[in-house]
Amino acid sequence: MTRISSHDPERQEILNRRAFLFSAGTALAFVSVAGRLFQLQVLNHEKYLKLATDNQFNKRILTPLRGEILDRFGNVLASNRKNFRILFVPEQTRDVNAALDELGRIIDISEDRRARLLRQIRRRGPYTPIEIEANLSWEQFARLNFELPNLPGALPDIGETRDYPLGPAAAFVIGYVGAATEEDLKAQEREDERVVLRQPGFKVGRDGLERTYDKELRGEAGVMDVKVNAYGRVIEELKDQAAPPSQGQTLVLTIDSELQQAAMRELEGESAAAVVLDVVTGDVLVLASTPAFDPNDFNVGINPDLWRELNADPRLPLLNKPLTGAYPPGSTFKMITAIAAQISGVKPTFAVSCSGKLWYGNRFFHCWKREGHGSGINMRGGIKHSCDVYFYTLAKDLDIDIVAGVARKLGLGQTFELGIPGQKRGVVPDRDWKRAYYAGSPENQPWFQGETLSVAIGQGYVTSTPLQLAVMAARIATGKEVRPRIVRVRGDVAPPPQSFGTIDIDAAYLDVVRAGMDAVVNEPGGTAGRSRLENPAWRLAGKTGTSQVYQITAEDRRRGLTKPDDLPWERRDHALFVCFAPVDNPRYACSVVVEHGIGGARMAGPKAREIMRAVMTKDPASRPTFDPRTVARGREEVREG
Amino acid sequence: MTTILLPGRRRGFRERLSHLHWTLIVMLTMLAAAGVVTLYSVAEGSWQPWALNHAVRYAVSLGLLIAVGLVAMRFWMALAYPIYLVALAALAAVPFIGEEIMGAQRWIVYGGMQFQPSELMKLGLVLGLARYYHGLRPEQVSHILYLIPPAIMIGAPVGLVFIQPDLGTAMLLGATGVAIVFLAGLSWRLGFLGFAGAGVAAYSAYRFEILKPYQVERILTFLNPDRDPLGQGYHLLQSKIALGSGGLDGKGYMLGAQSQLKFLPEMQTDFIFTTFGEEFGFVGAFVLLGLYYAIIVTGIAIALKARTHFARLTAMGVVVTFALYVLINTGMVMGLAPVVGVPLPLVSYGGTVMLTIMAGFGLVMSAHMSREHDGLSG
Repeated sequence: MTRISSHDPERQEILNRRAFLFSAGTALAFVSVAGRLFQLQVLNHEKYLKLATDNQFNKRILTPLRGEILDRFGNVLASNRKNFRILFVPEQTRDVNAALDELGRIIDISEDRRARLLRQIRRRGPYTPIEIEANLSWEQFARLNFELPNLPGALPDIGETRDYPLGPAAAFVIGYVGAATEEDLKAQEREDERVVLRQPGFKVGRDGLERTYDKELRGEAGVMDVKVNAYGRVIEELKDQAAPPSQGQTLVLTIDSELQQAAMRELEGESAAAVVLDVVTGDVLVLASTPAFDPNDFNVGINPDLWRELNADPRLPLLNKPLTGAYPPGSTFKMITAIAAQISGVKPTFAVSCSGKLWYGNRFFHCWKREGHGSGINMRGGIKHSCDVYFYTLAKDLDIDIVAGVARKLGLGQTFELGIPGQKRGVVPDRDWKRAYYAGSPENQPWFQGETLSVAIGQGYVTSTPLQLAVMAARIATGKEVRPRIVRVRGDVAPPPQSFGTIDIDAAYLDVVRAGMDAVVNEPGGTAGRSRLENPAWRLAGKTGTSQVYQITAEDRRRGLTKPDDLPWERRDHALFVCFAPVDNPRYACSVVVEHGIGGARMAGPKAREIMRAVMTKDPASRPTFDPRTVARGREEVREG
Repeated sequence: MTTILLPGRRRGFRERLSHLHWTLIVMLTMLAAAGVVTLYSVAEGSWQPWALNHAVRYAVSLGLLIAVGLVAMRFWMALAYPIYLVALAALAAVPFIGEEIMGAQRWIVYGGMQFQPSELMKLGLVLGLARYYHGLRPEQVSHILYLIPPAIMIGAPVGLVFIQPDLGTAMLLGATGVAIVFLAGLSWRLGFLGFAGAGVAAYSAYRFEILKPYQVERILTFLNPDRDPLGQGYHLLQSKIALGSGGLDGKGYMLGAQSQLKFLPEMQTDFIFTTFGEEFGFVGAFVLLGLYYAIIVTGIAIALKARTHFARLTAMGVVVTFALYVLINTGMVMGLAPVVGVPLPLVSYGGTVMLTIMAGFGLVMSAHMSREHDGLSG
């Protein structure tokens, strides 16, 4: 014991000193900690307070409802319906793959799909919710909600999806929507627009009016602050202070959905196009194209098999034929030739004798009627019988530039402001056109008069779209510069009423042509006698057309291939028909093109007749149209009362 | 019985109780109360799952403190080496019979009781080293031969804890051990050499990848918190946001939005100081720090008044451990020290650490009670 205690005072002395050092060091450390605390809590308080607020509040974009598209009477062509879907927020999971596995127990996620989702997550970063699956059944959706605690990152959502109640019937007018691509994002000027486009399930117009009026239909996004906890789970939605989204503008079209559907039914089974215009207002009542795709299939991202199928179909279900199909107009062009001849001084009484063929230059030009139309064919008869030799004869002395001028005045070779992308101009050939077209190529030669002969019957270089043909019919019918339109009212803005100037063609010339077209349908011997409508008040004037796709060669004839029906489908001639009605006071004009339909009289005429029968029966021009502005005002009045 | 209790005049139990250092007990109880209050808030205003447990555990631990304090210091000196050896054996057994919890083997489960040998070692090391230096003459302390036993006594448990792996506790044990060696009178020259050697060891630990990746991560994140805001630095950043947004006078009790909205990790344990600071502000946190410092100063005063070198060194060792806990934890939540997982003594939720701390203060109490009557004094 003494052994220990004898050293004690010395050791205690050392310990005292060291303990004092220790307590001083500890004091210093406590002062640093307190100083740091002061720095954080007092000096930098504002900074951390702001960070804390950012922590607690997230901005949530409230996606706007897409504007509706209605027909002229207010029937829905495109609107929105509830869409049960499951979103996924990668940031809220520890392990994205494991989280997807969990989800995969409830909804099927193929390897393909998963790879695509993972790509999307990489591209968009962890904070943007992505759409795992849309259009879930109620049962699936309920089950997802039930299992939610076991599904990290999953965010069930009731969204809106585009709905096209008519399916394929109005596909080419409306177009369709699809998810925003990287290009779409780049095309946006403002970052807030990009933010909206990145919202899961947000769709942009891909084609048709959906594309042209995308900005107007899109609407304005709203924003709401939501209070979230550290896991991003929403604790509270601050609804009072939210800026609500506003739905996109409503588009009211000139289309009559009932007639549109009737026309689609009429064309069913063919690869065909039909356009019906109100010749007074220029309203496009029908814009039909068959076969058509169903825009509803594109809403959720089209299935690749269906996409391949649509692309491989020789009848081109993705082609908007009334606007983007450019066909040789065939005999429907003869009205233009007749007017051009009259302008050049040919009297309508000028008559020729048709022997079935005409020698010009170094070859025979054949009439469609091999045995010929006989003698005494004047201008009216030429149109009525569609006698090719009559028009060859006119063409021999016709200046192609005058023909082209008339064609342009009647609406060919141009596009119209419809708002539907992809319109073709077609070709109205003249000397300048040929020079420009062949510039630099060895075939660059001057215009040959023989080429005028081909153009005179709508063959050769000339092409036109069904829409242009309908416009031509409307202009011939009225003598006015009819311009088609398809959007009647957009939001609050109605386009100014259409009033058309008179076209620069002598009314007398047009009378001759109209009389010819009347005869085509209503006189015995006319080429489209079977297109006549029984009701005398619906008297129809029209013109058939058959445009050659393939010239039957001598070789074919030897093999016994004389009739066009023997040809394979894709080599058969196109069938065309243009018409207007009623003859004495025209209101509607119509064009029908049946691809490879062999004969205008046989295939196109009867279809046009049925479409016109439906149009005349309904007479949409006489009915009051829908106007969203008056409807809105009407509602207010009701409230006030 | 009386042999292990205080000798001398046969005092009644009541009288012995009256000689306890009640100021120390009151201060410790205030800490525990702060813990209960904060845990109640962290649980969104509920006694479950932490606050009630914490209170009960404190009551039990306080009983332990008093029991340990009533035992004579010379009895603890007799038990010093045995306790150290038992703790060391338990630590060595952990890799074989230990249960792995959260990626680290730290626990021994026996008959439904969980027991963490590294906690026992915190006291065992203090007792063992105090006992060792109690038997040395001053000139022997800085003799290189006499440095070998303490080096082994410190190195063995530190190494065993390090491989569990529990970097925080290993550092704590090492620092406590080194502090006791210094308090015992190690010469400054040797001390400096020792620090240089430790620096080299730390560098080679990093170079030769002895540390687990997450440990390296934590240290690197400490050095640059903006490195990975959603990973390691995230906790620290959230902790700073919570403290900073608390301001001078705090957001008010149960109104710590950062804590309530779960932005803070491990609010009930390692980051409880943050919650406290968010809700009670700089004023509250400063008062809490002051309380800690008062306890440390009281502990030092008791230690220096003890009669034996063993008692002095033991009490100092406990105070050093306690101070290290407080400083590492508060430094950690404010970005002054790496996030190593050290609780705030008596405030953080966790039974084992509380028992260790209270048993440790029991030893301090015993030193206090033995200041006049320990038979070993001269």
